Amino acid sequence: MIPGKYRSVSGRAANNVNCGLHLVIQTSSLPEKSKVEFKLNKETPSFSGRLLQHDLERNYSSRQGDHINLASSSMPSFPILQRSSEEKILYSDRLTLERQKLTVCPIIDGEEHLRLLNFQHNFITRIQNISNLQRLIFLDLYDNQIEEISGLSTLRSLRVLLLGKNRIKKISNLENLKSLDVLDLHGNQITKIENVSHLCDLRVLNLARNLLSHVDNLNGLDSLTELNLRHNQITFVRDVDNLPCLQRLFLSFNNISTFESVCCLADSSSLSDITFDGNPIAQESWYKHTILQNMMQLRQLDMKRVTEEERRMASIVAKKEEEKKRESHKQSLLKEKKRLTINNVARKWDLQQHRIPNIAPNQDRKVSDSPQDPSQLHGSTVSAFPEETGSLDSGLTSALQGLSVTDTHLVEVDGDTLSLYGSGALESLDRNWSVQTAGMVTTVSFTFIEFDEIVQVLPKLKIKFPNSLHLKFKETNLVMLQQFNALAQLRHVDQLTIDPQGNPVVNFTLWKYYVLFRLSHFSMQKINGTEVTQNDMIMAERLFGILAHVASSELPQYRLISILGDARKKQFRYLLETKGKKPGLVNEENSDSKRLVGENTNRATLNYTTRDFYNERLEEIKEKKKFCKMYMEDLVKEATEINMKNEALQKLWPQMFIELVRDAVIEIRNKSSYMKLCLQQITDQK
Amino acid sequence: MLSPERLALPDYEYLAQRHVLTYMEDAVCQLLENKEDISQYGIARFFTEYFNSVCQGTHILFREFSFIQATPHNRASFLRAFWRCFRTVGKNGDLLTMREYHCLLQLLCPDFPLELTQKAARIVLMDDAMDCLMSFSDFLFAFQIQFYYSEFLESVAAIYQDLLAGKNPNTVIVPTSSSGQHRQRPALGEASTLEGVEASLFYQCLENLCDRHKYSCPPPALVKEVLSNVQRLTFYGFLVALSKHHGINQALGALPDKGDLMHDPAMDEELERLLAQVPGLVNSATANPEAGCLPSRTPPRVGSPWRPLHHARKVDAESDGSTEETDESET
Repeated sequence: MIPGKYRSVSGRAANNVNCGLHLVIQTSSLPEKSKVEFKLNKETPSFSGRLLQHDLERNYSSRQGDHINLASSSMPSFPILQRSSEEKILYSDRLTLERQKLTVCPIIDGEEHLRLLNFQHNFITRIQNISNLQRLIFLDLYDNQIEEISGLSTLRSLRVLLLGKNRIKKISNLENLKSLDVLDLHGNQITKIENVSHLCDLRVLNLARNLLSHVDNLNGLDSLTELNLRHNQITFVRDVDNLPCLQRLFLSFNNISTFESVCCLADSSSLSDITFDGNPIAQESWYKHTILQNMMQLRQLDMKRVTEEERRMASIVAKKEEEKKRESHKQSLLKEKKRLTINNVARKWDLQQHRIPNIAPNQDRKVSDSPQDPSQLHGSTVSAFPEETGSLDSGLTSALQGLSVTDTHLVEVDGDTLSLYGSGALESLDRNWSVQTAGMVTTVSFTFIEFDEIVQVLPKLKIKFPNSLHLKFKETNLVMLQQFNALAQLRHVDQLTIDPQGNPVVNFTLWKYYVLFRLSHFSMQKINGTEVTQNDMIMAERLFGILAHVASSELPQYRLISILGDARKKQFRYLLETKGKKPGLVNEENSDSKRLVGENTNRATLNYTTRDFYNERLEEIKEKKKFCKMYMEDLVKEATEINMKNEALQKLWPQMFIELVRDAVIEIRNKSSYMKLCLQQITDQK
Repeated sequence: MLSPERLALPDYEYLAQRHVLTYMEDAVCQLLENKEDISQYGIARFFTEYFNSVCQGTHILFREFSFIQATPHNRASFLRAFWRCFRTVGKNGDLLTMREYHCLLQLLCPDFPLELTQKAARIVLMDDAMDCLMSFSDFLFAFQIQFYYSEFLESVAAIYQDLLAGKNPNTVIVPTSSSGQHRQRPALGEASTLEGVEASLFYQCLENLCDRHKYSCPPPALVKEVLSNVQRLTFYGFLVALSKHHGINQALGALPDKGDLMHDPAMDEELERLLAQVPGLVNSATANPEAGCLPSRTPPRVGSPWRPLHHARKVDAESDGSTEETDESET
C-alpha cells in the first residue's frame, strides 16, 4: 500500500514496477494502428454480431488517445484512470483497457455514462471499482484471473457480462442484474448451476468448459434461447423442459450415455438444435434414431440438418424396438409362468417320492413338522398322496398350501422338442396334434413322471409322434434294468438320455450295456451324450448275449408264446413251421420273418410289466391256482384210492384166486351133474 | 427205481417228498392260462414240454417268486440259470453293488424280494457297509446258501441268538455256566471280548435241527467239517464258511466249483457266434437276419441243427457241454 506515483506516458512506456503496485498504464498508442476489435470469445459466435450491433458497430481502434491519465488516488492500491477530454467526447460510452497488464480494476473517474467496458486479457483478480458506472451495459472481463463474481450489484442495466476464461468457482452475486441478456462463463471452474433463476431476460448462457456434472436448476430462465454446455462432465440433464424458449442446446463432449439421462429434452417443444457429439451416447448404434424418435421437433442434430428420410427411419426402427420389447416381455412372462409350473410339479413329485415329510393319512397330522425318516413310510403308497392334496392342513408349511391345484403339469412343444412335466401331462398325448407339429418333434422329454406311467402311454407316443428319436428321462424313478425292456416296443430310438437326478438306475455299472443289449435293434447312436462305439455294442452283447440265448432257446414253446402274446404268435408259428426245413432254406425265410418281427426275437421275451399290472396278474392267477389245487387234490385222492384198492387187491388176490380155483374145481368134480347144470342155465336164459 | 424204500412210503408222503403235486398243479395252472395256444398243438405235447423243462431246469425262467421258491429243485434250477446267464458279467470282472445284483435277479424273476438279496449281501460283507461292491463269485455262492437253505438259516440264526444269550436248548444241566461263551479258550484270532459261540456246542444244536427239520439242510457231515476247523465262530463267519465250502456246493449240485465258475464252453461258443453277428447289428437293424433269432437255424456248416425241444442236454452239475455241439464244431 505504498502510495504510488503515476505519470501518464505517451508513446511506449516502460513498466515501472514498484513493488508490483505501481501501475503504469500503457496507453494504446502503438506505432501501428492496430485495430482492437471488440472480439468476444470464439465460442459464442452467434450473438456477437447481433447483440452488440447497436452498441459496437464499428471497430474502434485502440487509439483512444494518449490521454489516459492515471493519477494517484486516495485508495492506496488502485490506479485511477483518466482520459483526456477529447477521448471522452469521442468515445464517450466505451472504454477499452485490453492487455493492459492490469492486476486490479482501476478506479474510473468521471465516466459515469460509460456503457461499454472492456478489460480483456488482463490479470485482474477481483471485480472492483466499477460500482459507479451505473449505466454500464456491456462488461467484458474475458481472460483474467477472477475467482469470484462480485462487485456487480450496482450495475442494474448490465446486459452483457463476459467472464469467460477466468477462475470462477461459483455462480453468485448476480441478484441485481435483472436485465442480463448474455452471460458468458465459459472456461471457468463452475461445478453447479445456481443463482440464475431471476435472470428472466437472459437469452444466452454459456457454461462451456467448466466442471459441471449435471444440469438442473434451470427454472426461471424464461427467455433463454441458447445454452452452451460443451466440454463439461455432464451425465444427466434435467429441467430443460422448464425453459420455454430454448432453441439451441449444445452438449458436445460431455458424459451422457443413455437417453434416459436427458429424457427431459423430449418434453421441450422449443428445442430445434442440439449437439451430442463427443458423448458416449453418440457411439451407440441406437443413438440417432432414438434421439430423432423422441425429439420430433428437432431440426438440426450435431450441426447437421435432420432430413425427412432420417426421421422416417427413426420411427420405423423405434417401432421395431417397441415390438421386440413387447415380445421379450411376453416371453419372459411365459418363462416365468413355466418356471412356476415346473416348480409346482417338482414339489408335488418330491412329496410323492416322500422326500418331503408326508402326513400319514390317519395319524396325528402335526407329526409332519419334524422331518421323519422316510423309510417309515411305505414306499409303495405312491397312490395315496394325490387324494390328500385337497385335505392338507396346517401341519404343512404355508409354501405347500400355496400350491395352485390347477397347475399340476406342463406340456410344451418347442420346435423339435416335446417336454412333459408331471403325470397329468401324459394325457396331452391324446390331444389332436397337427401333423406338422407332431412330425417336427424329434425329442421327447419326460420329467417328474413315474416311468411306469410313461410305459403305458408309449404305444400312443409311437403313433402320435412317429419321428421321435431321442428320449430324455429326468426324475422318472427308473430303478431297475428291467424297465428298459419297455422301450423296445417303440419304433426307433436314436438317442437316450437318462438324467442321474431322480433315476437311480444310472448308478449301476452295467446299465448302459444293458440298454444297448436290449435295444440293439435300434442301433442307438448316443446314450447320455456319449457316442456309442462298436466296442460298446460288443461288450453289451458279451455281457448279456447268453441271457438272450437262454431267454429264447431254453424256454418251452408254450412259454415263449404266452410271453410274447398274440402279435408275435403268428410269426412264431411261422418260425415253428420252418424249423423242420433244411438249414439252408431256413436262413432266408427267417430273414424275412425277421423283418416282420422288427426286433431280435431272442430278446423279445425280456419284457417289463409294471408292478401294478404284475400284481394284478398274480391276483388273477390265484383263482386259477386254487382251482388247480383242488382239482389236483381230487385227482390225487382218486389216484391214491385206486392205489389203495390196487394194493388191497394185490394182498387179497392170492386168496381170492385160490377160492376161485377151488370153487371152479368143486363145480366141475361131478361131470354129469355139471353138464346138466350148464344146460339148465342155457335154457333158463331164454 | 423200484427200490423198496420208495415203495414203502405211504402215498402222500411220497408225493410230498418229491413235490410231485407242486409240479402237477403248476402244469395244470399253466395249461389253464394258455388254453387257446396249447390246444393248438396238443396237451400231450404240452405236458412233455413242461416236464422236460422241469428236468432241464428252465421251468423257472421269468416265473413268479412263489413258484421259484416252492421246491428245492426249483431253487437249484434258478441258481443255475442265474449263473449261466450272468456268468459273463462275472467274467468281465465287474464288481457290482447289492442293488445291481438284485436288478439282475429281477431280470429273471420280476418279483424277487429284496430282503433275500440283502441277506446274501450281508453274508459276503460280514454285515458291514451294505453299499460295498462284491465280486460275482462271492455273491453267487453266498446267495446260493441264503436262497437254497433260507428256512434252515433262519432256524440257525435263532439258535445262534439263543446260544449267545446263554440259553442252550440242548443242555439239561441248567445252573452251571455251561454255555460255551464263558469258557476262556484261546480263540482263533479273536479279540479278548469273545465273539460268537463255541463251535462244538453249536454243532450239536445244528445236528438236532437237521434231524427234525423238514426243510432241506446241508448234509450234517459237511456241517461238522465246517465247524471242526474252528473253536469259536460268529453267525456270519459260519455262513461264510458254508458258502465257501466246496463239498456243500457239490452236494447242492447247482453250481460248478469256484475254480470252474467262469467256464462254460458251450455257452461261450454260442456267445462267440452271437458276437460275430454284432457288426451286422450296428450297420442296420434289418440287415441282420441271424444274430438273435431262434437258434433253430444254424449256419449251414454245422451238421446237426440245434433243436431246443429235443436236444438232450442234461443240466448237470459237472459237465455242461452237450457233446454233439462240441464234437461237431471244428472251428
